[in-house]
Amino acid sequence: MSPLLAIDDLSVTFARSGLLSRLINPFPLPSFNVIDGVTLSLMPGETLGLVGESGSGKTTLARTILGLVRAAAGRIVFEGRDVQTTADFRAMRRRSAMMFQDPVASLSPRLRIGTLLTEPQVIQGLPMPDRRAAAKALLALVGLPASFVDRFPHELSGGQARRVGVARALAMKPHLLLADEPTAGLDVSVQGDVLNLIGELKRELGFAAMIVTHNLAMIRHVSDRLAIMYLGRLVETGPTQDVFSEPMHPYTATLIQSEPIPDPRRRSQNPAVTGEIPSVFRRPSGCEFHTRCPIARDRCKTEAPTYRPMGADRMVRCHFPLVTGGQEREAFSRASANQKGKLT
Amino acid sequence: MSGSLAARDLSVRYETPHGSVYALRHVDIEAHPGEVIGIVGESGCGKSTLVTALANLLPANARIDGSISYNGVDLAKLDAHRQRLLRGDEIALVSQDPMTAFNPVLTIGDQLVDFQHHRKDLGRAQKRARIAAMLGRVGIADAERRMDCYPHELSGGMRQRVAIAAALLTDPGLLIADEPTTALDVTMEAQIIHLLRELRREYNGIVIVVSHHLGVIAELCDRVYVMYAGEVVEDGEVDAIFHDARHPYTQALLACDPARFQERLDRLPTIPGSLPNLTQPPSGCVYAPRCDRAFAPCGSVVPPRVKLSASHIARCHAVTP
Repeated sequence: MSPLLAIDDLSVTFARSGLLSRLINPFPLPSFNVIDGVTLSLMPGETLGLVGESGSGKTTLARTILGLVRAAAGRIVFEGRDVQTTADFRAMRRRSAMMFQDPVASLSPRLRIGTLLTEPQVIQGLPMPDRRAAAKALLALVGLPASFVDRFPHELSGGQARRVGVARALAMKPHLLLADEPTAGLDVSVQGDVLNLIGELKRELGFAAMIVTHNLAMIRHVSDRLAIMYLGRLVETGPTQDVFSEPMHPYTATLIQSEPIPDPRRRSQNPAVTGEIPSVFRRPSGCEFHTRCPIARDRCKTEAPTYRPMGADRMVRCHFPLVTGGQEREAFSRASANQKGKLT
Repeated sequence: MSGSLAARDLSVRYETPHGSVYALRHVDIEAHPGEVIGIVGESGCGKSTLVTALANLLPANARIDGSISYNGVDLAKLDAHRQRLLRGDEIALVSQDPMTAFNPVLTIGDQLVDFQHHRKDLGRAQKRARIAAMLGRVGIADAERRMDCYPHELSGGMRQRVAIAAALLTDPGLLIADEPTTALDVTMEAQIIHLLRELRREYNGIVIVVSHHLGVIAELCDRVYVMYAGEVVEDGEVDAIFHDARHPYTQALLACDPARFQERLDRLPTIPGSLPNLTQPPSGCVYAPRCDRAFAPCGSVVPPRVKLSASHIARCHAVTP
């Protein structure tokens, strides 16, 4: 089976090139790789979780895939075809959809829900004999009453707005759904609702999904595969269960450990890492995680690790991956002195 | 100086053009020096109204019934001036968004000097020395230089550390942290949780942590109040709440948290239904319309306070001691 979406060595560059900054500083500054050499693929029907902290470039990557941000280098192949020109992206967007982060802000406040739901078809110039009926069918798909067609976005609750976002993304029957933080700002009792809905529709309609999030507790239950980003680079990919049971990159292990557990009997002792995420403007030399890595050695400071396969369907960017039984894993557990019992 | 805090039968309603919103109803809260109290609930449960009432910062359209006493003094009976003194001196607030807590056009140092305006006995140099010491205590390296920074020059985690330092500078008897880690990344969240836990060893006032995040509450608190639709439905020691929850809402809320499950779930648990309209709160149990254990009296009779142990109380008809 060939992948639905294949990204090869994709880079995105943001240049610091405003008129003002050029006047102040006549010497052009180097540009910054916000996304650097990302290689990733998504099979039809698969759910991929793209995980990272703020500033890791996960949202930029999702936007680049849909052509909302221009890539500086690399290839995007969607359904076997190269996507390069604006026309290519437009054709691709017909078969893919994005759910933006803020559900209320992504709905125009002056349009009614019915109009908003059918906008994609109108923009793509698809024939639609009865716009109202089409909107009602979409509302039914996401479990909202048909009377919502006449409502305005501000009349919806957060969870309902999210459902409208799902309905609108699925209006074009996409093969690929990109969801940017689909549960941000939702209560735990409602977040499950939205994720269950996406899961059900996925089984029913068979699209593939890429879920961009920082919420590890949630993504564990909804994704087949995980990709972990740090400073615009992928540091680890692999099947979700494997990554959680045996994180190989120290950053992944750190993320999993940092998540507070809702159990007062298993309180964490020490934070696994200290310090801040460095800025992409001043990318650390060598391995970019060495400034915060509890097991960094001299080699990590000078030599950048390659992104290499580690076992079945796993890729890791680390000189000293935490293999089960290996001394790195032991050193990591010792260094972080975290007694949550998550890493054994 | 530090004393106990107690709210008795506290109710808050907001007068709006569309009628009264009964945001908080008959809440009893108690906190003693040295305790970390958690207030947990989903949006609309009244946790923000509660802490705003405790800090005496409710908007003008709010009407309060019941009493809040701090150190034996009824806060509602104080005049505006005395209330203000108390806020500056005794009650400090760490807010959710550390960016908006600071003035963007003043340096951190200048603002923290202003926060100590009530300390007439100290000179500017002494105040700056206290700030430097406090910044060091909350884990900011190079405090002297950081004092000359503007808020935007600090990262989110750093700003939250400064906000905590600012709150501690007044040596408050009551420190309220409203969603202290919500705006932060998970690695930074772990560090702030660690910092708050370290600080409580030397700080002997009351800490109130408000959060919707069960993990944060479990990590930090001694006692927990669970709120739903403006009422406290269950309270008790943190271990009792997380391991022996008796109220159906607490049980449902705990069951919804995906962080509790290590194995992949095909369907995530949810709580069906929605919050009641707080302009007309139900006459019986507020959770009854969504409760799977509701029976005859739940719809019409206010649930009793069922005492499960010395410190564990659930307000529910279906719970027996």
